[in-house]
Amino acid sequence: MKNFTLLFFLLGCIPLFAQTDSVNTTQEDEDFSIYENATSADGKNITFCSPKIFDLSPSRFVSVAWDHQMPYNMKLSSLGKYDDGTTINNYNETAKANSTGGLRLFANIPVISSNTFLWQLGGNFWKTNYNFADVKSPANDSSLIQNIAKNGLTTMGLHSTIFKPLNEKQFLLAQFAADLSGNYTLDNPQGIRFLRYSASVLWGKRPNDRKQWAVGLSRTYRTGELNYVPILLFNWTAPSRKWGTEILFPARAHIRKNFSARSLILGGYELDGQSYRISGITTAAGKELELRRGELRFRMEYQRQILGFIWGSIQAGYRYDFSYHADNTEKNGRDFFRGFFGTQQYAMINELSGALYFNVGIHLVSP
Amino acid sequence: MKFTSKLFSLLALVMLCFAFTSNDEGDRLIGVWQPSNGKAKVKIEKIGTKYYGKIVWLKEPNDPTTQKPKVDKNNPDESMRNVPLKGYRMLKDFVYAGKDQWNEGTIYDPENGSTYSCEINMKDKNTLEIRGYIGVKALGRTDVWKRLEIKAN
Repeated sequence: MKNFTLLFFLLGCIPLFAQTDSVNTTQEDEDFSIYENATSADGKNITFCSPKIFDLSPSRFVSVAWDHQMPYNMKLSSLGKYDDGTTINNYNETAKANSTGGLRLFANIPVISSNTFLWQLGGNFWKTNYNFADVKSPANDSSLIQNIAKNGLTTMGLHSTIFKPLNEKQFLLAQFAADLSGNYTLDNPQGIRFLRYSASVLWGKRPNDRKQWAVGLSRTYRTGELNYVPILLFNWTAPSRKWGTEILFPARAHIRKNFSARSLILGGYELDGQSYRISGITTAAGKELELRRGELRFRMEYQRQILGFIWGSIQAGYRYDFSYHADNTEKNGRDFFRGFFGTQQYAMINELSGALYFNVGIHLVSP
Repeated sequence: MKFTSKLFSLLALVMLCFAFTSNDEGDRLIGVWQPSNGKAKVKIEKIGTKYYGKIVWLKEPNDPTTQKPKVDKNNPDESMRNVPLKGYRMLKDFVYAGKDQWNEGTIYDPENGSTYSCEINMKDKNTLEIRGYIGVKALGRTDVWKRLEIKAN
């Protein structure tokens, strides 16, 4: 009887011991070939393409970064007379910007995240402070340099991204953003009539896990002013899984080198810009200045995992001034479209010499 | 003494029955499932009182670079990087919480070597919603897995 008791007890314990072993080990002798022909139990189509491909730099839930441009020269010119015959800026303002930069916060939270529909909603806050030396500007309210030296430039915005897989290979991608950019402060923000809207819609294919491309149209302020441009997305990873591209032309294009699943480096460029309402500088009756900042940033960025889902990045490169011109726009906030072929004159044509810059950030990355 | 022996026998019998019977409500999770990307098939089984899922099929079984069976090369634990992906337990430690939900588990993504907190919801007998997340459920992604049937040859 004792032997039976012991036998029963040991038999009863077998699964418990087995639990420990099978959890910690990953291999068991099993005929995996029986799963080759396993098919959907309810016969429904089950596969949809993912928004990602192999080895892309991780998308970010939350990002905190500091952006800093090294010294450069700024020259603001007067274009002459406006519609009413007055001139806004009799002086060619010049200054040396010792430093330009500030905090950049970004959040992108999934509202709906499933294999058939992805909707992300987020916000961003960018502060750009200027520190000038050797300023030569009029000692009155029409000095743009003194204006931005006082308050800096601020951007706050909301953005939304929708990814809709149509089937295993095709997808739609839509993005929308509303940004409030200007020389305002947080305790005295501008009105929402100055919101600037950007959007893009793309249709694309994901033929395999290493390639994804799409074409579409974008309404953008990346050159500083409103534009409508065709866009091309091309994300690709080499069979070796060590190289790839991350391209959303013309906004940005990078070559990627993956060191491991936890570190990579990107090299390429990004077109970065906003249209800033400069309150306080009246250019003509009922009009205000709108600063069209567009920067072409040639850069290298190293990203790596710090701990778990916390990643860090350090970026360094050269900032080329694509546009720092200014327009004379309605005080009611209405913007206009010049495009590449418009004939509207700028209120100011400004020049910024190139500058070295760096950006360091810490990010919570997504699954 | 006789009473003690009988008691032990009874206890052992109960344990044996408990260990080998698997017909409770949570066992509906047991089976072979496929993620929406179609790249793998995962067999979920019960070990003790918890549920685990291992990879039993890969659409691309061999590493295109080495032409050898894929291994878990992105695992943060270097000692695991030569372990074959086929047979790998990517779902671990799920407990049935009632109301068609299994939680307290984790899901491992071999593509980046990351392990996420995970919750499984059964939408119908052939459909699972698997949500991997970081810390809070809002920071995550849901994938829909479908049940597969193994056809007899």
